[in-house]
Amino acid sequence: MNRKSEQILTNCITENKENIYRLAYSYVKNKEDALDIVQDSIYKAMTSIELLKDSTVVKSWFYRIVVNTSLDFLRKHKRVHPMDQEKLEFYALGAEDSYMDIDLVRTLADLPPKYREVVVLRYFEDMKIEEVAEVLQENVNTVKTRLYQALRLLRMKLKDSSLKETNG
Amino acid sequence: MSDILEHLRKEYQSVPIPEELDLIVNRSIKQALHTRKAKRLKVKGMTVAAAILVFLIAINASTTVANALASIPGVERIIKVLTLQEFKVKDSNYEADIKVPAITNMENKELQLGLNQKYLAESKALYAQFQAEIEELKKQGLNDAHVGIDAGYEVKTDNDTILSIGRYFLQTAASSSTVMQFDTIDKKNQRLITLPMLFKDDQYIKLVSDNILAQMKEQMKNDDGKIYWIAGATDYISKEETFSSIKKDQSFYINEDGKLVIVFNKYEVAPGSMGLPEFIIPTDAIQGDLVSNHYIK
Repeated sequence: MNRKSEQILTNCITENKENIYRLAYSYVKNKEDALDIVQDSIYKAMTSIELLKDSTVVKSWFYRIVVNTSLDFLRKHKRVHPMDQEKLEFYALGAEDSYMDIDLVRTLADLPPKYREVVVLRYFEDMKIEEVAEVLQENVNTVKTRLYQALRLLRMKLKDSSLKETNG
Repeated sequence: MSDILEHLRKEYQSVPIPEELDLIVNRSIKQALHTRKAKRLKVKGMTVAAAILVFLIAINASTTVANALASIPGVERIIKVLTLQEFKVKDSNYEADIKVPAITNMENKELQLGLNQKYLAESKALYAQFQAEIEELKKQGLNDAHVGIDAGYEVKTDNDTILSIGRYFLQTAASSSTVMQFDTIDKKNQRLITLPMLFKDDQYIKLVSDNILAQMKEQMKNDDGKIYWIAGATDYISKEETFSSIKKDQSFYINEDGKLVIVFNKYEVAPGSMGLPEFIIPTDAIQGDLVSNHYIK
């Protein structure tokens, strides 16, 4: 049984490694920390596989570990996230055309984590509402509400920035 | 709104994936598996030991069982080898057959248990290694790679004085490799015979090596098909790799005629096509250094 779950989990990790990296990145915003989180999450998952009762939910179980590890990390390293070199250069050299994109990225990044994570999981990771709820350990209705609020916030922020743009 | 989300999604997915991600992921998985295995083996080791004990108690406590196993009537206890356990996997591409020998009816229970535990532990390790290899191949998508493993044993000699068991491990991948290991037991004195034990001092190393070198040369002279990696015989093998001396604890067994037989593993002294070369050492060649003619005649 354990061998089988081990295999299932290993497959899940290798198949989703890029996604979990991005998910971690969406919390910590820099490469080194995101890689650390990936590493920690794999270790945590593999060594506590006995806690996974139902191997059909392995993906959401593993994502949950990534989310929790990321949140733990942020809690431990409470700080304003520094910009990494890549991003700095990106901003510094930003061509006029890419302003809109930057605003969008910043818009998402500026969302409080609890809103951002539902958007990321639901729309970028293509998870079902139920799966998102599973990952975040919230009930389905909470997730739906948050998603709705997140979209409203996004819309407002975008309106703000486009207003500024036309005014400026 | 949906095109904004689409846009954000693209942005999200454009986060560059660092090159080292693969490496880190694989390494983490391996490390974690390693930790798990270490934990598991601890538990398993104990159950295995317990299982062997139960098995041996059954054999030694019940004459019916012992007789059935030794297939000899009467109450006399005879040291025998039998297959304790067999690990088998058969897939279209992967095949494993590992037979674990077990020695029974020895009065020296400590030695018997020690040997049996060694056999079982080695077989288990072999099996685990084989499974890991298959997983690795599957992970790499090499689904039509053919690998196989065949391990078992043969009783080389079983007479009143000695019992020689050879265990072989045959691994087939692109090419095959075979490793053979021997244990020779003194039945009367109930102890394991080692190569150095047979001799008075270390002189045997030279005596045996010289004899083997002579035999190799003789064989190559008489048969063009035979090749051994010895100095002067081939030019494609560097000097350090040529055979010049046996190891102090070289694999050996004692055959039915009471002659010492030295065995080399595949590739140890010759190309793979030569298989596992065996050399029977004439007793005359080593007589001077033998402790007695009790085992070697």
